[in-house]
Amino acid sequence: MTDATAPLRRPRWMTIYWVAVGPMFAIAAYLGLVASPRDVNQGDLIRIMYAHVSVAWIGFVAVGLTALFGALYLWRGKRGDDVRSAASAEMGLLFSALTIVGGMTYSKPTLNTFWTWDAKLTLTAIMVALMVGYFVVRGLIDDPVRRGRVSAVVAIVAAASLPFNYLAAEWFRTLHPAKSVALDGSGVTMDGTMLGVLLFTTVVAGLIYLGFMLERVRLGRIEAELEEARTRGAVRTVAPEGVVRV
Amino acid sequence: MNDLRAVLWIARKDLLQEARSKAVTVATVFFSAVTLGVLAFAFGQNPDLMRTGAMGALWVALAFAGVISAAQSWQADLEDGALEALLGWPLPRAAVYVGKLLANWLLMAALGVLLLPIAGGLYGADLGPSAGWLVGIVVAGTLGFALIAVFYAGLTANLRARESLLPVLMFPVVVPILLAAVRASGAIVGSDDLELAAAWLRLLVGFDLVYAVVCTTLFRFVVEA
Repeated sequence: MTDATAPLRRPRWMTIYWVAVGPMFAIAAYLGLVASPRDVNQGDLIRIMYAHVSVAWIGFVAVGLTALFGALYLWRGKRGDDVRSAASAEMGLLFSALTIVGGMTYSKPTLNTFWTWDAKLTLTAIMVALMVGYFVVRGLIDDPVRRGRVSAVVAIVAAASLPFNYLAAEWFRTLHPAKSVALDGSGVTMDGTMLGVLLFTTVVAGLIYLGFMLERVRLGRIEAELEEARTRGAVRTVAPEGVVRV
Repeated sequence: MNDLRAVLWIARKDLLQEARSKAVTVATVFFSAVTLGVLAFAFGQNPDLMRTGAMGALWVALAFAGVISAAQSWQADLEDGALEALLGWPLPRAAVYVGKLLANWLLMAALGVLLLPIAGGLYGADLGPSAGWLVGIVVAGTLGFALIAVFYAGLTANLRARESLLPVLMFPVVVPILLAAVRASGAIVGSDDLELAAAWLRLLVGFDLVYAVVCTTLFRFVVEA
């Protein structure tokens, strides 16, 4: 007999992880709010960029990983991959919603509008809608295997629009600024200090994503185990004697 | 080769079924005509707004009609265990998808071409000297739309609340396709700007290719009898 309550106990290193990430978040806030130089054109408003861009990047990563874990689930059929996929989807939804909120905060004082139907903004809004759809589908299917498969498929189709989101800003640039960091290494049109700060805030945003993932996957495992036990009839759904119902 | 024949047979089956019942044709033609009319009322007395909005209205009408068409193509197979029989065939499930896709695409593209002059006339928009391009845009746009619509209609075919779920799931995915199609056809009708139309058409074809690969590959995980 294995210890049935083992996954219920939260490992201590998770707490240690958060204790370590906390000061890094404070350092990132200090770097962005105090240490970073003011922008030539935007002044102090450039400080919003550190939060906006890092959150947006991690949001894309989260949606991409949702699809990746979904594809792994389709391939291997392991319940754990479905749990990881769903956990990452929650983060993806949160981070893309935050991207829109941050983008609006940034764009009102700099570009004098909260919103424009630019291709990149539109597709980010669509990404939020796609992730909401992912959870609507999950909620409607009771059979875990079918739920895992269908939501994996929904996640992969959602992620298929990500490359277009990236390219759209290039092809149809309107109000959204062009990228300052080209992935092909051809050029970084950004002050070195600013780039360093941005990379650091991105790393911290990534660590926050990872921390939430670890927590959510642990909870997801417990949920999956409970669901399986209920299907087997091993868990009584009625309260045992002595439990006072209120 | 066998799979290709199966695809054509399934498309033929769906088209034959449609030719006999005319359920989708009647519903989609009237529904899209009503949508065009309602939007014309909404745009009101402003001829400029009508002209610039003509292609947007056309694609909204096509999109709503497309949901009906895609849902109906699976709905008919849910009766009398026809879907079980279809999926029980020793065939890749992707063949079933591609067959249904072909039938849907054909119906929608035909509807789109039919609606072009109607939308032009109703909204007072001159389709312009490059109206031939519009047919190409309708063909590419309806392909992208049908790819997603038939895929998600198959996904929701045996779920609870499928009628309400299908639009919720598919419209976010389809919006980039609609956006590209509206912009491409708007560039033709509004300003006869072939360069701009070509740029949007390129995005549209890109979406078509990506979703053709993704949907065909993933379809076997989606349906369940």
